[in-house]
Amino acid sequence: MGLAAAAVAAALVTLFALLLVAILSYRDASTTARHAQQAIASANQLETLALDLETGLRGFIITNKKSSLKPWRDARKRYDPEVQQFLRLASDDPTQAARAQDVVRSLDRYNSDFSLLLLQFLNRNPEAARQVILGAAGPHRLDPVRIGFKKFIVGEQKLADERNARARHTAHVAIVLGAVSLGLAVLLIVLLILYLARRVARPIRLAADAAGRLADGDLRSRVDERGVAEVGALQRAFNSMAASLERSRRELEEQNRKLRESEKVKSELVSSVSHELRTPLASILGFSDLMLQRDLDPADRRRYLELVRGEADRLAALLNDLLDLQRIEETGVQLTREEIDLSKLLEGQVVLYSAQSDRHALELDTDEGCLVLADRDRLAQVVGNLLSNAIKYSPDGGVVHIEARCSGSRVRVTFHDDGMGIPLVQQRQIFTKFFRGDAGRRLGIGGTGLGLALARDIVEAHGGRIGFESLEGRGSTFWFDLPHATAGAARGVGLSDSRRSAGGS
Amino acid sequence: MTRPSVLVCDDEPNLRELIRVSLGSGWTVHEAVDGEEALARARSLAPDLVILDLMMPRLNGLEVLSTLKADPTLARTRVLVVTAQPASEVEAREHGADGVIVKPFAPEDLAELAATLVAAR
Repeated sequence: MGLAAAAVAAALVTLFALLLVAILSYRDASTTARHAQQAIASANQLETLALDLETGLRGFIITNKKSSLKPWRDARKRYDPEVQQFLRLASDDPTQAARAQDVVRSLDRYNSDFSLLLLQFLNRNPEAARQVILGAAGPHRLDPVRIGFKKFIVGEQKLADERNARARHTAHVAIVLGAVSLGLAVLLIVLLILYLARRVARPIRLAADAAGRLADGDLRSRVDERGVAEVGALQRAFNSMAASLERSRRELEEQNRKLRESEKVKSELVSSVSHELRTPLASILGFSDLMLQRDLDPADRRRYLELVRGEADRLAALLNDLLDLQRIEETGVQLTREEIDLSKLLEGQVVLYSAQSDRHALELDTDEGCLVLADRDRLAQVVGNLLSNAIKYSPDGGVVHIEARCSGSRVRVTFHDDGMGIPLVQQRQIFTKFFRGDAGRRLGIGGTGLGLALARDIVEAHGGRIGFESLEGRGSTFWFDLPHATAGAARGVGLSDSRRSAGGS
Repeated sequence: MTRPSVLVCDDEPNLRELIRVSLGSGWTVHEAVDGEEALARARSLAPDLVILDLMMPRLNGLEVLSTLKADPTLARTRVLVVTAQPASEVEAREHGADGVIVKPFAPEDLAELAATLVAAR
């Protein structure tokens, strides 16, 4: 673009210079013409003077009066300056200067050889002199002078014509070149405009179109980035703006989607909670109404009261689990980690749950020194939930086998029962909140459907995994594993933990 | 006059007992613990009334309801739907429920509604 502008400027400068040359040539031509006129005028004047000399001489000789010699004397007086001027005007061209010299020499010869001699001779022998003047040769005495002048004038004329022609030619050439460079400049300007239209106006229009599409919501709208200089910068800026817009819209959409999803989860939760609350509530209200409205025998009354009590416990447990789960999901599981010997924790839980059922035998088999870095209460909660499930879902009683194995970097705890197991179709949902197996409902096995969801959250917060294998009618094996803490490392971390808490308090 | 028969379908034992007691001694009560059993027993017993919980395992209440209503041999059987979700009442009626009662309910209301449905046949 800069190059094109420079070319246009150069063409315009050339055009101006050529026009200057043309004008100067014309001026030169007119100067030459004037000079030639002056030279010719001077030649004519000098010729007239020569004629005056001749005429004056002739008149004096014919009349022989001194007064008749006055034109001759006057001409003699003007003679020298005229000659000087004539020679000066003729000096600019060597040929013409030589011709002028010839003329002046002829004239001088006429004066010195003829006219002056004749005057001297006239004083001594007038008649003879008169014969010379009036003789046949008399009128031809000035012929060489005349011829010289004629030659000079013709030469001067020719010279002027030549110079004039040269100047005109130069001017002509300059004008032609000027016209050519004007044409060139016009062409370049047109090309520049076309170039600007193509490389500037068109990309800008395309960018404007793209911006329009962008405004209409098409955030994938982009422009070709190959534009020159500032146009390219504009295109790149446009594309980066569009990309940034698209990115933020994607982020917004993603956030929106997550928000909708969490709304959906929340509304499902509310619906589930509502159902889970209404069912025990229906029993509580229904049985208490019955007791209030009907005369019941004491045995029935006691039975209904126990039902009411049981359902109220279920509600309370549901509420606790719900609050617990909500706390965990909002703030994450808050863990106060300490070094725990798993076998001791398992022993404590086994003693606790053995007391709840006479029909079940709880067997414990643990490796020595299974240390984990865990939150004691939370870990006890997980073990409690799994033990309670193993007992509840083996209603006919039996052995619940608990095992802890620390092999390498993981510690695995398994809970095996010979209970009813989990039908294959329900296995996928078993950790879903509020999900309860069909059998559990049908047989009136209490539960909130939140225990396993809670257990999974807690185990995962410890960096562990939880899972199960089950065959319907054959029992279930639930397990979780946690990172194995070696005694030294665990103590080290435990110490640093306690140091931190001591420093913080 | 023989006592009307009723099939109480609910997966919660406590609720089945509540319904049975609420209805009182004027009914012959049968029970079913899930959707499939409800359908099978309804077909074999052809009871005067089916009291149906919507949230049941195996076959949900609405499916049982539609199937019962489409069965010509059960044309005289009335279906009373019990739901924990007030919002599902409209849906239940669209599927052909003769009556809907929302948990928790008053025992007297249930008894009255059951009697009305059977008497109105």
